[in-house]
Amino acid sequence: MTRQPANGPGNWVLLSYRMPREPSTPRITIWRKLKRLGVAQLGDGLIALPADARTREQLDWIAEEIVESGGTATVWLAQPATLPQERELAAAMASARSEEYRAVIDQATAAVAAGQPDRTRTVRRLRDELRRIHRRDYFPPTERDTARQAVKALAEPRTTADAPEITP
Amino acid sequence: MKWATRANIHIDRAACAWLIRRHVDPDAEFVFISDPAELPADATPFDMRGVELSHHHGDCSFETILRRYDLTDPVLWKIAEIIHEADLDDERYDAPEAPGLDITLRGLSMVCTDEQTLTHTTPVFDGLYEYYRRATLLGHEPA
Repeated sequence: MTRQPANGPGNWVLLSYRMPREPSTPRITIWRKLKRLGVAQLGDGLIALPADARTREQLDWIAEEIVESGGTATVWLAQPATLPQERELAAAMASARSEEYRAVIDQATAAVAAGQPDRTRTVRRLRDELRRIHRRDYFPPTERDTARQAVKALAEPRTTADAPEITP
Repeated sequence: MKWATRANIHIDRAACAWLIRRHVDPDAEFVFISDPAELPADATPFDMRGVELSHHHGDCSFETILRRYDLTDPVLWKIAEIIHEADLDDERYDAPEAPGLDITLRGLSMVCTDEQTLTHTTPVFDGLYEYYRRATLLGHEPA
């Protein structure tokens, strides 16, 4: 259950799967679900997530869906053989998340100059986006807090100093 | 009748147990098992891999039970959308209630046994049903 153990590599849940090339819709559906979970791609038809009750269950259901679409799927529990191997995997996942957080930071920064209705809409959208990223963020990068702060700052009402509100 | 599901229940299993007791089998008795091999021969399993009353084609077990027992009540299908999003979070439905309900159930499962979780969630689901029943009748959110 431990995600970042002190003494050795932690437990991971692996999904090994194969799906028919056609029809392509189920393949795309499955791929989107895996992306949404933030999986690490270990190879062709082999993905991994740090193991906990939620990730194990999610991969079980996806395996079931693959089998129902005419594919094959097996779910495994495994440990990377060495710590450096696990660190490399975790670093790749963290870097994928930091890219997503940076996109949030950029959009929040760009919206600062916008009018109030635009800002409010952007805050709402970025909060949803942050929630999605948090759920698949297993090894939080430093950008996580920056992104949170950027959205929080955007949500705060403007002070009269930077733009006086005109009341009709 | 006896019904069985995986131990340490969360949103989908708690909601399924409520649905079974209220709309399928009023005398339902629930067994929580940690290993699929422990499944009692006289129990109907639900929300377990490889059984009929489970996730199928992207549906969660609550939706599967509604389909399997021909439960067409729109209020139950409204609740199904919330359970689906709380369990799978795949944005098939717009259900802003889902994250809150999911966390409530996750928290309950940390401090309660499965039997206690069912005791506490029964009035919660009864209340949700009543709320969405009134909302459906009124055509807007009830006060």
